[in-house]
Amino acid sequence: MIKVEHLIKKFDEKIVLNDISFEVKDGETLAIVGFSGSGKSTILKIICGLLEEDLGKITTTEGDVAMVFQYSALFDSLNVHDNIIFALQERKELRKKYTTEDLDNIVKEKLKLVGLEGIENKFPSELSGGMQKRVSFARAIVTNPKTILYDEPTAGLDPISSTLIEDYIVRLKEETHASSIVVTHQMSTIERTADKVLMLYNGKCVFKGTPKEMCEAGNEYTKQFVTASLTGPMKMLAE
Amino acid sequence: MEQIRVFFKKSATYQLLQILAEQFEDFITTLGEIAQRGLKTLMCILTGQINWKEVIEQSSRFGVSSLPITISIVSMTSIIVAMQVAGEMVKQGGGNYVGLLVAMLTVRETGIIMSGFAIISMIGSSLASEIATMKVTEQIDAISVLGVDPVRYLFVPRVIAGTLMMPPVLIIASTFGILGGGVASTAVSELSYKAYFTSVWSGLFIYDIKVALAKAFVYGCTIALISCTCGYMAKGGAKGVGIATTKAVVWSFVAIVIWDLIFSVAFFF
Ligand SMILES: Nc1ncnc2c1ncn2[C@@H]1O[C@H](COP(=O)(O)OP(=O)(O)OP(=O)(O)O)[C@@H](O)[C@H]1O
Ligand SMILES: [Mg+2]
Repeated sequence: MIKVEHLIKKFDEKIVLNDISFEVKDGETLAIVGFSGSGKSTILKIICGLLEEDLGKITTTEGDVAMVFQYSALFDSLNVHDNIIFALQERKELRKKYTTEDLDNIVKEKLKLVGLEGIENKFPSELSGGMQKRVSFARAIVTNPKTILYDEPTAGLDPISSTLIEDYIVRLKEETHASSIVVTHQMSTIERTADKVLMLYNGKCVFKGTPKEMCEAGNEYTKQFVTASLTGPMKMLAE
Repeated sequence: MEQIRVFFKKSATYQLLQILAEQFEDFITTLGEIAQRGLKTLMCILTGQINWKEVIEQSSRFGVSSLPITISIVSMTSIIVAMQVAGEMVKQGGGNYVGLLVAMLTVRETGIIMSGFAIISMIGSSLASEIATMKVTEQIDAISVLGVDPVRYLFVPRVIAGTLMMPPVLIIASTFGILGGGVASTAVSELSYKAYFTSVWSGLFIYDIKVALAKAFVYGCTIALISCTCGYMAKGGAKGVGIATTKAVVWSFVAIVIWDLIFSVAFFF
């Protein structure tokens, strides 16, 4: 479960998140959509503890919070194998649990899940952007987290790899009953993975509902988003 | 009143003061960060949270890859000093003191300070830019989210490596320095190797060597800690990495000169 109540976040004087509240139950996926710069990544970073909220309350189920970063953030001095098992090797309580063989098997299994078998010994700089994204996906889920945050998991992927990742997001949710948040710009990802959608504009929540409602309901904001129209209540803000 | 304020804000005086204030604030923040990270690193070391594999890797970077430069810089300095003074000293009848002078100078001052400068420009800058790049590409955020303490993972092995490797580097570089001084002195004057090295022995004191080794520990630790911290504080993109690297180098230079002053006052005054 992820529960966010009256979250407010400012950077200097600029209010980026203004009174955002939502709840994601166990085994549910929430999609967050909104303009570039509307604070989507900021919400995720606050939930996983990288940023501090100014006001508001955040509760998550006990256990690991995993995050797939927008720009992958793979460790470029480590190869794919070591990237994936980073948490298992570096965390004190986990280190003794696994033998080298276990770790090798885990890496193989995770790489298979994201469709990238046999690249264990490559370094992140030798991979394409989409491959890096998939490896970072594998790295994030290696500790069986109870809360999973995906920052644009399918951005920059071809449609088939996107589907692969989307399917996996759904499968993971069903298997582990984790609660997840997916930040995305793609309708296909929303339709395939999300149970609920939250739309941000100008630091405020302008829509909350199911993907179906998003496409149907007479909300001017979502209508503009779904039809990708230039006319509507949302204007690109010139700062 | 309002007009005066607006006018004042545009004036050079105000802007100068503002820049000074910002610089001062930055100075204090950096100092605080260094102290804070240093304490945390120390805590990790004391509680035994050390990844020895990583320590060895960093040590080879610190001690081995820097050796060619360190040796050349330290021996060059000794050679230059020897060339400048040997001829004249022999002429004035002080030939027996050339070795003593070079040895004393190398052990007490030039060996350590030149090794320090070499290490800063080679290793310190690379530590800072490495960590700064990790910071601006969110790799450090990723470390935290994966439940690993970035200070433990990044700082501890580097600071240990810096502290442990600086003394051997110093010993090797200083040895080459004294040998180089010998070659130079005999080349530019009538001095024999035997006379030079006899005089070297009379200029080497255990006390000096102990102080030099203590300095090496302290400088190595300081350089690693400052470089890591400055990298860790990086913000923004490529420009932030550049700023962090410059800052690491400048701060390390100033820090070891200050340490040198402190050591000189404390042990040789
Ligand atoms: N560390 C920071 N310091 C100052 N301002 C920041 C910082 N991080 C983000 N911001 C600002 O907060 C706002 C939201 O940023 P955020 O990265 O959350 O956007 P986003 O919705 O994820 O955009 P995108 O879709 O492009 O990823 C932006 O206007 C940005 O300028
Ligand atoms: Mg973002």
